[in-house]
This record gives sequence, C-alpha cells and structure tokens, in this order.
Amino acid sequence: MSAGIGEARIRVPDRISRGDVILVNAIISHPMDTGFFRTAEGNPIPAYFISTVVVTYGAEEIARFDWTSGISRDPVVSFTLRADKEGPLTMVWTDNKGGTFKQSVNIAFTAA
Amino acid sequence: MLARRSFLQSCGLAVAALLGSGAIFRSERLLAWAGAAGGPEDPEVPNEEVARILKNLFGNRPIRKGHVSLDMPAVAEDGRVVPVIIESDLPMRPDQHVKGVHLIVDHNPDPHLAAFHLTPALGSVSISTRIKMKRTTWVRAIVETSTGEVWADYARVLVTLNGCG
Repeated sequence: MSAGIGEARIRVPDRISRGDVILVNAIISHPMDTGFFRTAEGNPIPAYFISTVVVTYGAEEIARFDWTSGISRDPVVSFTLRADKEGPLTMVWTDNKGGTFKQSVNIAFTAA
Repeated sequence: MLARRSFLQSCGLAVAALLGSGAIFRSERLLAWAGAAGGPEDPEVPNEEVARILKNLFGNRPIRKGHVSLDMPAVAEDGRVVPVIIESDLPMRPDQHVKGVHLIVDHNPDPHLAAFHLTPALGSVSISTRIKMKRTTWVRAIVETSTGEVWADYARVLVTLNGCG
C-alpha cells in the first residue's frame, strides 16, 4: 500500500476547444491518517495527510486547496477550468510530513 | 454540465425534472439555492469552535443563504467516504469572482475541513471531493466573493458509521 503513496492522475476531456469550461478530475494515493486511530497492536497511527494542493495553468497559479485529514483516503477532487490557452495544467500535493507529489496534463485544443 | 449551469441561471427550478434519478434531491437543493437570504432555517452555530472559525473567516459580515448549492447524501452509511459537491452560480470574472469556498463540518474533530482558494481562471464554481464524517451533523458550504459577500448552503447528513475514529 505505502509503495503507492503519491501516485496521482489528472483527467481532462479528450476533446477541448478554446474557451471551453472543462471538468478536471484528480486523484492521489495517500492514507490521509487522522492521528485518531491505533494499529491492531495498540500503537497510535500518527497524522499523515495531504495539507495543500496547488494548481497551476501555464505559469499562473489558479487555485490552492487547504486540506485536513478530514478528506477521505486517496483524495479525489474535481473542479472546472476555463481552457483559454494551451499549456500544462500542473498539480502539486504537499503532505504534513513535507512530501510533495506532482502531476501534469497538457491542455491542447482539438483542431476544428 | 455547463449547459445545465446556464440553464440553472436562466430558469432555476424547472431543470429539476431533467436530472433523472437525482431529481428529487436536486429539486430540494435548487429550492435552497433560490431561497431567501438567511433566516430561521439556517442551522444554529453549535459550539465555540465553529463560532470562532466563522468569526475568523468572515468577521461580522452576514452569511446569507443563496447562490451556493451543497449536495450531499441525506444518509451517509460509511462516514469514511461521504461525497460532497459544491456549486455556485456566482460569476467568475476578473472584476468579480468567488475567491474562497469553505467546507465546515460542525461535529467533526477538525470542523474547518477544507478551504478551496479560487481564481477566475476556473470559469465556474463546481468542486467535488469525498470527506470523512464522525457523526450526524450539519455541514456548511460557505463562499466568499472578491467583493466581500458571503453566501452559504447547508446540508444535514445522517452518519451511521463513524469515519473519524
């Protein structure tokens, strides 16, 4: 399980025209431990969760999410994007232990 | 989805019939969306912590009900994974936009569960995710605009399996 921590995917529509407001779906593998649980042996499981997500489009930061361990394991998030230029859409997830995980998808327009 | 949004903006309630299996739930949400500005139906602030969160975020500005739709199941059988959809019909233009969306779960250990800081580049406000819930409680989706307005929607969710430990 832990081997997959930080594996992330971003999904956007196959066909995008300039000016479309598209739906972006993202998922990252992460345990999102609250710190309230214990192992079967009774040892506390420390809090371990994604605390910040930064979204950039081209060179511009367009969104930033502040999360707590109240987001479910393997966090999903979707949001919209006005596709007004071609370029990378990048997301960087940072966890409370300093781990950072990055994924990008290229926004390119379909020829009419 | 976008066709639906513009339709919502133009004629509100009539769209409910088009939404298939979710129609009843959606129509309740839409009524809330179109509803009056604040008032007796708003959930009471349950404790000092939530009061402090609201005060820190919004000061003394009124939190009015409207322009926001918080979609959650009425019953969450597994509190570890509860879907949330937050939408708003407020504009996302450079001169006027939603700059923050706050998700507050009254009776969770950490009630201010998430904040989504947005810019006009998103084109609209339509955010979905999945959250953990400890027990039955009100959930608040509160948005703040670049002009300082604060709008909200609320959902009461019955939780049968504690998802927070």
